[in-house]
Amino acid sequence: MVAILRSEAWYKFRRNKLSMVGLGLVTLIVLLAVFAPLVAPYPTHAGAFVDFVNASQPPSATNWFGTDLIGRDILSRIFFGYQVSLVLSVVVLVIAVPIGVGLGLVAGYFGGWIDYLIMRVTDVFLSIPPLVLAMAIMGFLEPTLLNAMMAVAVMWWPWYARLAYNLSRSESHEGYVLAAEVIGAPKWHVLVREVLPNCLPAVFTKITLDVGFVILIASSLSFLGLGVQPPTPDLGSMVAEGAQYLPDMWWMTVFPAFAILIAVLGFNLLGDGLRDALDQGR
Amino acid sequence: MTAPLLQIADLRLAFDSWRGPVEVLHGISLNIRRGEKVALVGESGSGKSVTARIIAGLLQYQRGARISGHVAFDGKDLLGLSERAFRDLRGTAMSMVFQDPTSALNPVFTIADQFREVLGRAHKDISRAEARRRAAEALDHVLIHEPERVLASYPFQLSGGMNQRVLIAMALANQPALLLADEPGTALDVTVQDRTLHLMADLIEEVGSAVLFISHNLGVVREFADRVYVIYRGRIVEHAGTDALFHDPRHPYTRALLAAVPKISGEGLPDTLVETSDAFDAPAVIHDGCEEPPLPAGMAA
Amino acid sequence: MSSTFFKTIGIRLWTSALVLVGVSILIFCIARVIPGDPARIALGPNATQEQVELLRERLHLNESLPVQYFEFVRELFQGDLGMSLYTNRPVTTDIGDFLPATLELVVFAGILMVVVGIPLGVLAARYRDKLTDNVVRLLSLLGVVTPTFVWAVFLMLIFAFYLEILPVAGRLSQGVDPPPGVTGFYTIDALLAGQWSTFGDAFSHIILPATALALTGIGQTARLTRASVAETYDKPYVEMAQAYGFSDRRIASKYALRPAMIPSLTIMGLDFAAMLGGAFLVEAVFAWPGLARYGVETILHKDLNGIVGTVLVISAFFLIVNMLVDIAVAWLNPRIRLQKRWAG
Repeated sequence: MVAILRSEAWYKFRRNKLSMVGLGLVTLIVLLAVFAPLVAPYPTHAGAFVDFVNASQPPSATNWFGTDLIGRDILSRIFFGYQVSLVLSVVVLVIAVPIGVGLGLVAGYFGGWIDYLIMRVTDVFLSIPPLVLAMAIMGFLEPTLLNAMMAVAVMWWPWYARLAYNLSRSESHEGYVLAAEVIGAPKWHVLVREVLPNCLPAVFTKITLDVGFVILIASSLSFLGLGVQPPTPDLGSMVAEGAQYLPDMWWMTVFPAFAILIAVLGFNLLGDGLRDALDQGR
Repeated sequence: MTAPLLQIADLRLAFDSWRGPVEVLHGISLNIRRGEKVALVGESGSGKSVTARIIAGLLQYQRGARISGHVAFDGKDLLGLSERAFRDLRGTAMSMVFQDPTSALNPVFTIADQFREVLGRAHKDISRAEARRRAAEALDHVLIHEPERVLASYPFQLSGGMNQRVLIAMALANQPALLLADEPGTALDVTVQDRTLHLMADLIEEVGSAVLFISHNLGVVREFADRVYVIYRGRIVEHAGTDALFHDPRHPYTRALLAAVPKISGEGLPDTLVETSDAFDAPAVIHDGCEEPPLPAGMAA
Repeated sequence: MSSTFFKTIGIRLWTSALVLVGVSILIFCIARVIPGDPARIALGPNATQEQVELLRERLHLNESLPVQYFEFVRELFQGDLGMSLYTNRPVTTDIGDFLPATLELVVFAGILMVVVGIPLGVLAARYRDKLTDNVVRLLSLLGVVTPTFVWAVFLMLIFAFYLEILPVAGRLSQGVDPPPGVTGFYTIDALLAGQWSTFGDAFSHIILPATALALTGIGQTARLTRASVAETYDKPYVEMAQAYGFSDRRIASKYALRPAMIPSLTIMGLDFAAMLGGAFLVEAVFAWPGLARYGVETILHKDLNGIVGTVLVISAFFLIVNMLVDIAVAWLNPRIRLQKRWAG
């Protein structure tokens, strides 16, 4: 049964060309990130490499996307930038999703004062515009990759709490949950074995969409100088650095900017496709 | 003999699907004369609602719908009509009553606003006050005793029966030549439904409109229709005067349909009323005097 | 006016107030609980121990946390957010100076979001699955997935550097004096003073940053509007409108749009308020002297009071906008506006 549903979902997913484009882009980006040391034309340019002779060169046969102010190959740095972005996204979501989903499920399923407390705290976090909260946190921390991850995770969990809350609220009135309760299954058991699995497709879809949006927010932070610091290759910092030399050295800005755009686009198309395929499959 | 008001000949409808076109109407012929009340009876999925939607021009311009055959209304070829010319007919020469009155009315506009829009279809520059006066008058015809209160209301503030009366009043406000009644009031409870249907019948009599009753309620059909078409899986299987049909059903499907009625206490038919039988695919039975008239000149293929 | 309407507003006011208290506690906690001495962080490693002690005293850092919070709230109610360690002025003065510029930007972007996003969404829904729809969907997707700072940089590159039809940065050209301050919005103040050339200058300066800020919101709004209008197109009342021959334009702009907009407005309110986050990026690119830029500076300078003040004001704005939108929705929705309260 599950296998049939899955194949049906896959059939629906496959039919949508844009979803397939998304899958293609995401696969490409993940492969480039994982194998960056192998596929990057100049792997050593990822770090604090300096070559003033070749500095600030426009795109050419040797450096397809040109070089930056200290002679590093921009294409290579984009590949390593993808590596940093993906690691950051995964870590952020690994922290934020379990916390958010856990709190949301508990609030939605148990109700009462637990519900009130958790959801009001969630409201507080959600009433500070996303980027602003992460920035405020970074304001009191050293700008490192780890701290940026923490700041973004703190700002991200409430969205999952909200989602899981709504899901568990509607699921807890479903027949199978009531049936399990009537049989006398302990509440925690019902929550973990019955409610949680039925929330997973929606959570899974949101995670796919969010990988892109975490990349977007994290690059926004580093664009403002509040995230990952040089010499770590980061797409947001690259755009910020290049923007000071517009319009003459446009390649320093334009290529990293497109790199971010394409990554967010890819995960978005993939997530939309998954949502459509899973929604109708249910 | 004058040409019928509405004449359908060999109407076919198919929808494109991922497996190729799927035909849902397999050549329907049907006619309605001026002022006549004709019923189209069948189970859900038999093609009666799509037939009404083709007559109202709601399917013609949709992608994926393939229509062939002839539909003539008041001398016009409805399948060849431009979208714009068709729109001019709707709400003036023909109108429609829907199944669920409350969801057919827009939830965020008052009855007065919606009524004015309907009246505006026939009287382009009708003033607000004039529209309100006429709407109140129309509501009075369907025995709504506080028209002003109803006009100021939103649909959710009124009962289903009240909304149904409002819809009937709107449908007949512009004195259409043809009224399409798509399972009117099926969503309402039985007594309310019965009362509003009588109101509708009286008003139709007064206005003189012709009616196509789309229904699966044989009791209603027996009471209100002059002639009956029975439709089964996209085909007309029997066509007779109402009395003839109920006293002398000849097609196996019609018999099965009538036989099923007492079991469900004379109310509407359930979704799958009768077991499918090969006998139902028998050729259509047309009672004497119910032959389809020839198509008007210039319309025949 | 029914009691349900006022009840809705009452509940909304009460929760907003509660959330604002929560925000103040949250900001306070972030500022004090994070490891490290805020005074030391603010003054840097070169400050003497006496300087640090002095600052600790001024910020009440030697008291217990609840006392600190109480002090903070007491001063807040006196309209005192403390001194900015970055500008050496009261934080409230700084905010008063910088907030109007940001508001002007956000309001312009909000207008763009509504005026461009909604019609695009309606157009896409009306021509569902046709070319128009696909073009709109692609454009709005691009709007959503492109980071605001990328839009800002691209727009600047194209319109300010290559085409040279719009100014690169700032609120006014050099040599142009700001109009007499009434609202703090240069465009409106210039109009009020009848200074046409100043208005033109201010207006040309705001086009690029406002557009960059709006593009994400335009994309979101168009997608949202398309989805909800397309959904109402499947409702019986739209079929009824068609069956009565109402014109397609009238159905799209009135009969399908109004019911569709009521649920969408809340989300549009959130998107509008979220622009304050985007403003940080746009102001950085276009050197727009607003609150967001001030906020970044305070963060970079570890200016405790400045950060807390900025975040509080932004959250308050966020809450006020959402509250106004909720009231508007309750007002527009006849079900809430008119329904009689049930017993109990």
